[in-house]
Amino acid sequence: MDGIRVGKRIIGAQSPVTIGWENIPKVQGGPVKQFVFTYFQPVVLFALIAFWFYAPNSIAKASTAIGIHIGFTVLLLGLEWVNPRYESWRLTWKELVTDLFYVGLGYTLLRIVDSFIGSDVMVEAIQHSIHWDKFAWFMGLPLLLQAFLISFLFDFGQYWMHRGMHNWYPLWLPHSVHHYITQLNVNKGAVGNPVELFLIGLGIGGFFDFLPRAALLAGAFGMAIGTYQHINVRFNSPRWWRFLFNTTEHHSLHHSQDYEASRSNFSGSYIFIDRMFGTCVDGEAELLGMEGGRRMSIREQMTYPFTEGWKTIKERFGSRPVAVPAE
Amino acid sequence: MTSHYIDWIWKIRGNLALAPGQTGDDAFDRLDPLFRQSGTAHKRTGKTLTFQKKDQDAQDKMSVFDDGILRIEQRGAEAVLRYQLTSRALLFCFLAPLLFLAIGQLTLVVGKYQKSSHEASDTKKPAIKKPDVPMNPIDKALGAPAPDKPKKDGSKPEGRNKKPSATTAYVFAGIFAALYLVGRILEDRLIKGLFKKRLFGL
Repeated sequence: MDGIRVGKRIIGAQSPVTIGWENIPKVQGGPVKQFVFTYFQPVVLFALIAFWFYAPNSIAKASTAIGIHIGFTVLLLGLEWVNPRYESWRLTWKELVTDLFYVGLGYTLLRIVDSFIGSDVMVEAIQHSIHWDKFAWFMGLPLLLQAFLISFLFDFGQYWMHRGMHNWYPLWLPHSVHHYITQLNVNKGAVGNPVELFLIGLGIGGFFDFLPRAALLAGAFGMAIGTYQHINVRFNSPRWWRFLFNTTEHHSLHHSQDYEASRSNFSGSYIFIDRMFGTCVDGEAELLGMEGGRRMSIREQMTYPFTEGWKTIKERFGSRPVAVPAE
Repeated sequence: MTSHYIDWIWKIRGNLALAPGQTGDDAFDRLDPLFRQSGTAHKRTGKTLTFQKKDQDAQDKMSVFDDGILRIEQRGAEAVLRYQLTSRALLFCFLAPLLFLAIGQLTLVVGKYQKSSHEASDTKKPAIKKPDVPMNPIDKALGAPAPDKPKKDGSKPEGRNKKPSATTAYVFAGIFAALYLVGRILEDRLIKGLFKKRLFGL
């Protein structure tokens, strides 16, 4: 494989990738199907914005957001069934069980850990020691701008944390487990070593959650944009959407078996952050994972960062073999 | 030795009558491609085929199984394929509800501990008093509802700082119990269908 030159890098020399929007396949089928899978993403985004903007205070609550999130996930699982991007990413019973196990851990065990050492604890500690009047200007901004800033700040932090994970070995170890997934499905974003899932959730976005409605709108941005990172659905995303937002195409490239391709598209929602820092590559990949697409068991996913870390430490600092003189 | 009374949890057994005149060798030849997948090792000795899988592909049609034995047995005039397949995924899914029930209990214990420690520390911490900022004129013009006034009793509104709830863990326990039932029935049928398709080309 020759690969394709993108800037100074050669992408796709180790594993096939598709580079450039003009080369990416379109949704196949009749006009109704084409219409639905072209406008689904923006319609959902604007509908959610309108809902959270106008919902009465009695409805605009976190529990409503959780309900919407569950409903949206089920809907997307249905879309995966109807219009898969790749047959080779079909959801099986075993994949669903594995993915939901991590979703379950995220909603339960990780929440317990977060309640002791997560972002919210840090935010609450800071909130007790600041002069709130200094932030009145933020609370006076239009709701949508507040919401965008909250989600942008979180994504900006996540971009650098994620980029750090790909560039610093101690952070790469826990993150590498997530890169062993070999297909993208709705709940695959939750799959990874719990240490990484904790780290990637850290952010200061929560610090600016002054108004509950702004926080809920920020959450809606994340849900209606970031969810498409991991999904097996073919969309004809509008040009403006794929310029601004992270898409399945971008993220599949990030999960490619090709090393150079995997070092691109680090943001969670806003791909323009990658464009700002020169790490965005527009394209997609079907063959995903590490070590030629080896699927990792849950047991190994739990232990891998520690066993690999231990191996590396032993190699670097362990006793060196005694040199045997040549005969 | 594992009792048959409980190993149905993670083992799937079944049998299929071969077509009249079909030999054991022919049957195993037809099934052979199923065992030539990544991460799969298999061995044929006479009328027995054994296999083991490790890190099997997600799209491997037998990915849910980790090892198994297939035998050709003679029942009177007809030959029968008998199989016994082991699935760690089924066992894991069967045990997952217990794990989530335990997490639910842990959540309650942690909640109790946090409540007592918060009560102790809240006396020292001053309450957060956010300034009363008027709504932005743009939001007002667009008709967004005005935010609620802070409650007088000082209770926090429902938000992201909500304490962990055991209900979530119990819901996941229920989801995995349902998933187990679905998987135990579905995978049994799927493997039977797969063997039939390979053996008889149906």
